Amino acid sequence: MSDLKQTLKEQIIEQLNLEDLTPSDIQDDAPLFGEGLGLDSIDALEFIVLLEQNYGIRIADPSEGKEIFQSVNSLAAYIEKNK
Amino acid sequence: MKLTGNCKISKNGVFLDGEFQKQLQPVDENWKKEIYSKLAIDYPKFHKMDALAKMAFLSVEILTTVSNIDKFKDSEIALIFANNSSSQNSDLKYIHSYNVKGSPSPSLFVYTLPNILTGELAIRHKWYGENCFFIEEKFDVEFFLEQVKFYFKKGAKTCLCGWVNSFEDIEECLVFNIENKGTNDTILKEQLLTLYNQ
Repeated sequence: MSDLKQTLKEQIIEQLNLEDLTPSDIQDDAPLFGEGLGLDSIDALEFIVLLEQNYGIRIADPSEGKEIFQSVNSLAAYIEKNK
Repeated sequence: MKLTGNCKISKNGVFLDGEFQKQLQPVDENWKKEIYSKLAIDYPKFHKMDALAKMAFLSVEILTTVSNIDKFKDSEIALIFANNSSSQNSDLKYIHSYNVKGSPSPSLFVYTLPNILTGELAIRHKWYGENCFFIEEKFDVEFFLEQVKFYFKKGAKTCLCGWVNSFEDIEECLVFNIENKGTNDTILKEQLLTLYNQ
């Protein structure tokens, strides 16, 4: 699981073009949207692409996104459950 | 018209009102993040910005620590920015995202217009007056002053201007504030050219 979280952080930085950041700048439980990384609805689209391209997971119900994309922890848990 | 403040940043350092800011001197390649950290700003959106917006953001953050621009109503502040590379860096990254990586990146697409940086500044400082971004062949003092005069006629009391470029190995940003008082144009032009060439 910790390997997955590390990989996810690297993929988030790559996919969202957060060039300045390193994986260590992203806390496992920090909110990705709003306060934490300051992400917004545009970035939610990037997360959907990230899940499809890297894990073959398609989010059928967009309303689930808020919960899934809450943090690296929640994202990793969703991938583990659905891969 | 009078020059009331300026800030110039590059990988070589920060100059505020012509004075080198030793405490903000970056030492590594990731110099924009380094200056951001040294300023102790908490604005996560900074990390999402492209290089153009980051440089404009940092320059204005530094300038506003000493300028009196906040004495004006936001509607009295005009933003006039220009460069000669438009948003080419972001444009190329966006093209790469769909040509090579397989899907167009929404977060890159946002920055495929250079005037996004004026929007970032407006959001950050709640400056809701006029703003514009021009593509010019080179830093042209005459052009800036023409625009400043135009916005003063339209009711602006102060113009925050900027020349900001990011393309290939060039990364430069000069922001300067001009108020509608005092100094004659000839002196002002000389001051601005000196700043640009500093």
